[in-house]
Amino acid sequence: MNASSTAASTRPHNQGPQRSPFGLRLPRFLTSESPVPWVAPLAAFFLVFALFPLLYNIWLSFHEYSAITRALEPVGWANWERLVSEARTTNAIVVTLVYVGVCLAAQLVLGLAIALLLDSDDRGYGTLRALITLPLVVPPAITALLFLFMEDPQFGILSYVFDQLGLISRSEPILSNADTALFGVILADVWQWTPFMVLIFLAGLRALPREPFEAAAIDGASRLQIFWRITLPMLSKVMAVAILVRGIDLFRFSFAYIYTMTSGGPGTVTETIIYYAWKQTFTFIKWGYGATLSLLTLIALIVICNLFIYFARVRW
Amino acid sequence: MDLTPAQKILRATAAWLVTLTFVFPIFWWALTSIKPYQATFNDTPVFFDFEPVWNFYEVVLLGMSRQEATGQGGGAAGSGSGYYSLPAIFDSLIVAGASTALCVLLATGAAYAMSRMRFKGQHHFVFTVLSTRMLPPVAVVIPLFLVYRQLGLYDSYTGVVLAHTLANLPLATLLLKSFFDDLPKEVDESALIDGASRWKTFWLIAFPMVKGGVAAAAVLCFVFSWTEFLMALSLTQTGVRTVPVAASSFVTSTGTEWGFLSALGTAATIPAFIFIVLVQRHLVRGLTLGAVKE
Repeated sequence: MNASSTAASTRPHNQGPQRSPFGLRLPRFLTSESPVPWVAPLAAFFLVFALFPLLYNIWLSFHEYSAITRALEPVGWANWERLVSEARTTNAIVVTLVYVGVCLAAQLVLGLAIALLLDSDDRGYGTLRALITLPLVVPPAITALLFLFMEDPQFGILSYVFDQLGLISRSEPILSNADTALFGVILADVWQWTPFMVLIFLAGLRALPREPFEAAAIDGASRLQIFWRITLPMLSKVMAVAILVRGIDLFRFSFAYIYTMTSGGPGTVTETIIYYAWKQTFTFIKWGYGATLSLLTLIALIVICNLFIYFARVRW
Repeated sequence: MDLTPAQKILRATAAWLVTLTFVFPIFWWALTSIKPYQATFNDTPVFFDFEPVWNFYEVVLLGMSRQEATGQGGGAAGSGSGYYSLPAIFDSLIVAGASTALCVLLATGAAYAMSRMRFKGQHHFVFTVLSTRMLPPVAVVIPLFLVYRQLGLYDSYTGVVLAHTLANLPLATLLLKSFFDDLPKEVDESALIDGASRWKTFWLIAFPMVKGGVAAAAVLCFVFSWTEFLMALSLTQTGVRTVPVAASSFVTSTGTEWGFLSALGTAATIPAFIFIVLVQRHLVRGLTLGAVKE
């Protein structure tokens, strides 16, 4: 679209000379009715920083860095074949699904429960609602270090508490035991992001109309009935948005926890696909395979998100 | 259904218990940062049974050597000179500040157009912006890493700033669009009919009304850049080191200096916390890109 040709056609009122508050003649594009100058910088930025990486990743997935020639060499479909056949990749996909699934479920249930608990106009609840957002501002990498500290088998307070409660013995270090390592990482994620769910659900609860609840109370419905029949269905849209946004973010932030707390170990029990892609690229210098893995994540994420947006009817 | 007084007390107790459980790790971190070395490594947790010390902050923020700070020799963990982190805090401030400015600048204009003007492919445009958020950072970071090395942007402020801008642009744009959408259309339409240009309408009418929203978007961009880890880790080496990257390098194979780390962690959380308190009201809308309004 050409800015100057569409300028005057839509709105005849804008044909006269336009002057800025300082009496200077404004450049033509500022007085026109075309959206191009408004949107173009953003569009250009996305072309360079989103479309280009995508295309470059596709190109990279058919190439691999060769230590001998010190250059990228075409390898055909080798990276994609490796993707399908490698057990470690399958493992990473499974770990990712478990990680994302457990985190989402735990944060949804805990978030809703805590939001219901804190949704009150009584004194002090405002303070509580402010306090519970605190974990959200701690940088994830620092949260990871904090939980690494608290889960230390010798002096960590969480290990101490778990030991006292008889859940996990202190002689079994949480993060270096294959059975509990993933749980140890998920704990950090759940601590940091449950407050986010609480905030979303609080916003949703506060926006609900009063009438259905009053009507139900008059009809003698029990608390449980009100929750299942009224509160939950009315929150469904908010819940869909929460799942979508948190689901996407799980791929952005989980890296910090895994990198810092376990480096994917012990063995590969905490190695998610994002972490594995990063490791292939930056540790093993397999740029092509790293790009292939990240492409797989990207495609999976876009397909799943779009299906979810379609079926859950999320609107922006 | 009103609660009986006993139920109210029960509910308040539960609410406080849950909230304090969530705040506890932060409290524990802050407490560790003023604990003497020995108290941190005690077999049973030490709460208030110690004399507070400030040497960790003196080393991390003021660049004192461990000897100066404690008045005694190196101890188990050497000099502590590698823990001076004020430069990292400055690097984080520069990166977060610049990427926030760029983000808000690019997003405000685009959000206004997306909310107020009608153009071909508008729906697709909104959706493209949204799907940019679905880009896993690792998928962006691999190409950027390779290209940055060619262009000399690797390990530079510009490189990280641009990467962080990309990460936060969808957030800023969609959030601001939701704020513009909330303004009654009649206001700027009447300005247009009165002969004001688009620019004038935007600058004198629409923008002043969404100032609060712009501030909220800016704060969220700042906090996300301040806390971002993957991109900062992958695109820098020694020239630029943001706080999360610097902090993660405190963990070494010979053991971790938890005192220094907790001091840095506590200090690095405070700016983000202050900012978030300022936009508390808009927090939900921001985190959900405007899809949930509060």
